[in-house]
Amino acid sequence: MTRTTTRAAERSAAPPRPETRKGAAPDAPGAAAGRRSGRRETLAGYLFLTPWCIGILLLTLGPMLVSLYLAFTDYTLFDSPRWVGFKNFQEMFEDDRWWTSVEVTLKYVLIGTPLKLLAALGVALLLVKPRKGQGFYRSAFYAPSLIGASVSIGIVWRAIFNDDAIVDKSMSLFGWDVGGWIGDPDWALPTLITLTVWQFGAPMVIFLAGLKQVPRELYEAAEMDGAGAWRRFRSITLPMISPVLFFNLLLELIHSFQVFTSAVVLAGSGTNTGGPGDSLLVYGWYLYEQGFRNLRMGYAAAMAWMLMLGIGLVTAVLFKTQRGWVHYEEDAR
Amino acid sequence: MTTPSTSLTSSKSLTSSGRARIRSVVWHLGALAVLAVILYPVVWVIGGSFKPGDKIIGSLQLLPTDPITENYRRLGDGIADVPVTTFFTNSLFLAVGSVIGVLFSCSLAAYAFARIRFAGRNVLFTLMISTLLLPFQILIIPQYILFQKMELINTYVPLLLGKYLAADAFFVFLMVQFMRGLPRELDEAARLDGCGHLRIYWNIVLPLCRPALITSAIFTFIWSWNDFIGPLLYLNEPDKYTVSMGLKLFIDQDSVADYGGMVAMSLVALLPVLLFFLAFQRYLVEGASTSGLKG
Amino acid sequence: MSARRWTARARGLRGAAAGLVALGLLATGCGGDGGSSSGGKVTIRYAWWGAKDRSVMIKKTVKLFEKKHPNITVKTDFAEYADFWSKFNTQAAGGNAPDVFQNSYAFLRKYGEKNLLLDLNKQVKEGNLNLKGFRNGLEKSGDIDGKLYGVPVGANTFGFFYNPAAFKKAGVTVKDGWTWDDFFAAAKKVRKSDGTLYGSSDNAGVMYLYDLYLRQHGKAFFTEDKKLGFTKDDLKQWWNTWQQHSKAGELVPGKKTEQAKPKATISANLSAAEFTWDNFLVRFAAETDTPLELGPLPTTDGKKTAQYLSSLMLSGSARTQHPKEVAQLIDFMTHDPEVGKIMGYNRGIPATTAQYEAYKPSGVDAKIAAYEKSVAGKLEPITPHPAGTDVAEAAFLRTYTDVTVGQSSVDKAVDQFFDEAESALGS
Repeated sequence: MTRTTTRAAERSAAPPRPETRKGAAPDAPGAAAGRRSGRRETLAGYLFLTPWCIGILLLTLGPMLVSLYLAFTDYTLFDSPRWVGFKNFQEMFEDDRWWTSVEVTLKYVLIGTPLKLLAALGVALLLVKPRKGQGFYRSAFYAPSLIGASVSIGIVWRAIFNDDAIVDKSMSLFGWDVGGWIGDPDWALPTLITLTVWQFGAPMVIFLAGLKQVPRELYEAAEMDGAGAWRRFRSITLPMISPVLFFNLLLELIHSFQVFTSAVVLAGSGTNTGGPGDSLLVYGWYLYEQGFRNLRMGYAAAMAWMLMLGIGLVTAVLFKTQRGWVHYEEDAR
Repeated sequence: MTTPSTSLTSSKSLTSSGRARIRSVVWHLGALAVLAVILYPVVWVIGGSFKPGDKIIGSLQLLPTDPITENYRRLGDGIADVPVTTFFTNSLFLAVGSVIGVLFSCSLAAYAFARIRFAGRNVLFTLMISTLLLPFQILIIPQYILFQKMELINTYVPLLLGKYLAADAFFVFLMVQFMRGLPRELDEAARLDGCGHLRIYWNIVLPLCRPALITSAIFTFIWSWNDFIGPLLYLNEPDKYTVSMGLKLFIDQDSVADYGGMVAMSLVALLPVLLFFLAFQRYLVEGASTSGLKG
Repeated sequence: MSARRWTARARGLRGAAAGLVALGLLATGCGGDGGSSSGGKVTIRYAWWGAKDRSVMIKKTVKLFEKKHPNITVKTDFAEYADFWSKFNTQAAGGNAPDVFQNSYAFLRKYGEKNLLLDLNKQVKEGNLNLKGFRNGLEKSGDIDGKLYGVPVGANTFGFFYNPAAFKKAGVTVKDGWTWDDFFAAAKKVRKSDGTLYGSSDNAGVMYLYDLYLRQHGKAFFTEDKKLGFTKDDLKQWWNTWQQHSKAGELVPGKKTEQAKPKATISANLSAAEFTWDNFLVRFAAETDTPLELGPLPTTDGKKTAQYLSSLMLSGSARTQHPKEVAQLIDFMTHDPEVGKIMGYNRGIPATTAQYEAYKPSGVDAKIAAYEKSVAGKLEPITPHPAGTDVAEAAFLRTYTDVTVGQSSVDKAVDQFFDEAESALGS
C-alpha cells in the first residue's frame, strides 16, 4: 500500500502531463506510437470506450435532454407529456414548500459543509504527525463515512437525539435543555447536520494526504524565524493545502446539495416526511415527493434543473474565487 | 502503516523524553475521547439490539441490564415469510454484480483515456469529468421512464446497468489517475514486441492497477450495499428487496411496529460493511486519499 | 495532486459539455403485454400495505386460497403505506398495477377516474363474486356511480381512546352523548391530576376527526361536487379551539408528538386520550402496557356522533388479464370463514357476516367488537371522498402540524391548506 502513497506523491510533484494540453500534436515519446496510424488508434480508443459511450448516451445525456423537455410539460406518467412552457418554473416561485426546501437545503449545505471540513482538518492536523496507532485512529475516524449514509444509521441517529437520550441528557448537564431534537423544528436540521459532520473521515484522509506533502523545510525555516504555531499554520499550512481544501469543498458542496437518504430516515416514515414543520424538507426529498408520490414528473424535472443550475452556479463561483485563495505550485513558477 | 518511532518527526524540538511521553499520553487520551464520541452510535446499536423493543428508545442506558436475544430470534422468522437472509442475498448479489461491472467497464474506459491517443479524447474526458458535477436528481425521472418503458421495473437491471456501462465517473477517474502513473516504457516495449492494446491492457496495465481496482471494488461494494433510492424506486416485491429496503418493512402506519427487530436488523445490516472495512481498511483509506473519493 | 488536474480539466468543460448535450440519444422502449397464463395455470399479483404482522396473516390466507384453487398462483407484494402508494402509482402508470390490491374508500374515486379500477359488477353477474352477506350494507360503499370499484374486507369507525386509570384519577367519566366542551374539560382535569400525562393528544389535524365535527353540524369535509365542505372561518375556529387548549398545556405539544413518531402519543404514554380508527387499539395494545379503553365520541348536540363505517377494500386492476381469477380471490378473501379466523380485526371488523361470526374476538379485539356493537345504532352513511382526498388529508395534517410546532399561525396554515387542497381537488 505504501506504493500508492509514493506514487501519488510523485504524480503530484510532476508537472501536468503533455496529453492534457489542448490540441497537442501526437508527440512521440515512443517511436512506435508515431508509426501507428492515428485512425487505428482512434478505432481502438472507441472500442475500449464502447460501454462508456453507450452509458453516457443512454443513462446521462439522453436522460438530461428528456428531463429538460419534461421540465416544460405537465406529465403524470399516465398520459403523454403536455407542453406548458414556463409554467412549472413560475409555479415553483409561488410554491411556499419549494422555497422551504431551498432554505432547508441551503442551510444544510452552508452550515454543514464548513463544519464538516473544519472537523476534518482539525482531526487531520491531530493525526498528521506519525505516532503509535496512527493507522488505527485514521481508520476508526474514517469508518463513519462508510456507514453514515445507510438507513441503519439514520434510525440510530433518530434515537440518540430523542428526548432523554444521550444528547439531550448531556446537553442539560450544561443547563441547555432542548428536549427531543427531532421533534423540534429548530433543532431537527441541526440533528441532520451533526450526522453529516460525523462523517468527516472522508475529507479528513484527503487533508492528511495533502498535509503530508507540505515540505518540512518550510516549517523548519519558519520556526527559526520565530513564527508561532498559528503563524505557521496561517502562512504555510493553509496556502500549501489550499488546492486540497478547494477540492474537498467542491466535492462536499456538490454532494450535500443532493442529500436524501439521511433526511428521509431522520424525518421518519409516513406520509409527511418533511419533518416537524417541514424543517427537514430537503430539496432532494421534495423533488421525490412531487415526482414519485404526487406523480408530477414535469414539475419534478423542472426542480431538478433548478438544482442543476444552483450547483452549477456554486461551482462557477468557487472556480472564480479560487484564484484569490487557492495556490497551485505551477502558479508560483 | 504505523510508524513506530516518534522521534523521527521533530528532531529539533525534542527535549527530555519524559515530556514527550506525557505529551504522547495526552495526545492518545484526546484522540480516544474523540473516538468514543464518534463511535458511540455504533455501540448504541449493539446495545439496543439486545434490549426489548419498548426499552430501546428514550433510554439512557447504553448496554442492556438484561440482555435478550429475542430480537435476533425474531429476525430468524423473517418478515412475513420473506427470510431476512433473502434481503442479504439480494444485497450481496447486487453488490458483487456491481463490483464486477465497475471493474470491467471502468477499467476499459480508463485505459482508453489514459493510454490511447484518439481523436476527441480531450472532449470526451472533459465530458466524463463533468458528469461528476451532475446531481443524480436530474437523471432519476427520465431513467425511471426509460426503464419503465423497457418493462424493467422490479428487476435488478436498472440497478446494475449503469455499473456495466461505466456510468460511475468516479471510478473511471480514479483508474485513469492510476494508469497515468504507470511508467510508459512498459507498454512501449510491449508494442515493439507487437502487442495490441487489448493485450497491453489485459497483460500489463490491469495487473499493475491492482491497488486502484481493489479500491474501486471496495467502494462499489459498500455504496451498492448502502444504496437506498435505487431499490426504493425500482424494486416492488419484498422478495427482491435489499437490506436497506427490508429495514423499512418493520414500520407501517397501521401496523404494530417492531423496534427491537428493526434495531437488530440495523446492526446486522451494518456488519458486512464494518467487516469489509476492517479487512480492507488500508486500501480504502489510501484509495480515498489518493483519489478524493467520498465514503 | 488529483485536485489540481481535476480543476484544470473542469475549467475547459463548460463549452464542451454544452455542445455534447446535443448528442443526446432518446431511447424508447416498446411495451408488451404481461399476460402470464400458461397451460391453464394463472398467476395473479396481490399487493397491500402493512408491516410484518399483517403480511404474515395475509400470506397464510393466500396459501389457503391456492390450495382451494390449484390453477391459480398468487404472487404477493407489500410495502409501508406511503411507499405502497408511490409504487402503486408508478406501476399503474406503466400499465402494470397489481391484479388485486388493498384499497381504501378514499382512493376509489381517484383511481376510478383514471380508469385503473376493474368494474367488478360483471364478475358479480357471472357468479365469480358474491355480494351477499355483507354487514350493514357495506358492499354498497364500493359502488361509485354504478361501478363496483372495490369490495370491503373490513370496516372501522372512529373512536375515542382513553386511559381509564388516568380518567378515574381525575374523576372524569366518559359517557354517551358527552360534548366537545366536556371533552376539553376532561382533558384539563386529567392534566391537573396527573403531572406526567397530557389530557389528550392534539388530533385537530386529523381530517377524519374534523369530518365528524363538520358532520355533526350538517356539513362534511368534502361536498358532492368535489369541493371542500367548509369555509376558512370554520377551520380557523376548529383549529383555534384546539390551539387554545394546547397553549393551556392540556394537549400534547407538537414537538413531543413529532418526537414520538411513529408511535401515537397515547401509546407513547404521553397523553390520556386520542382520536383515531377503532382498530388502532390492536396496535396501541402492542406498543404500550397501559390499558386503554374505547369510548363514545364527543358530540355537539348531546346526541349525534355522526360517525360512519369506513372500509378497507380489495380492488382489481382494470388492466388485469384475469378478471375472473381476480374476482375469485376477492370473493375468497371476503367470505371464507377460515380467512376471517386468520385475519381477525387486523383490517377492521370483517365485512361479511360469515367472517364476522367465524372469528371469536378475545382480549383487545373483544373491546373493539363491543365498541362497534355500542355504536351500531348511530352509524350514518359515509360521504364521498373525491380524487385528491389523499393529498388533502396529508396537507391538512402537515399544515396543522406547522402550527403545533410553532412554525406557522392558524391563519397562515388555513390559507396554506386551502391553497393546496383546492389545487389537489381541482386537478
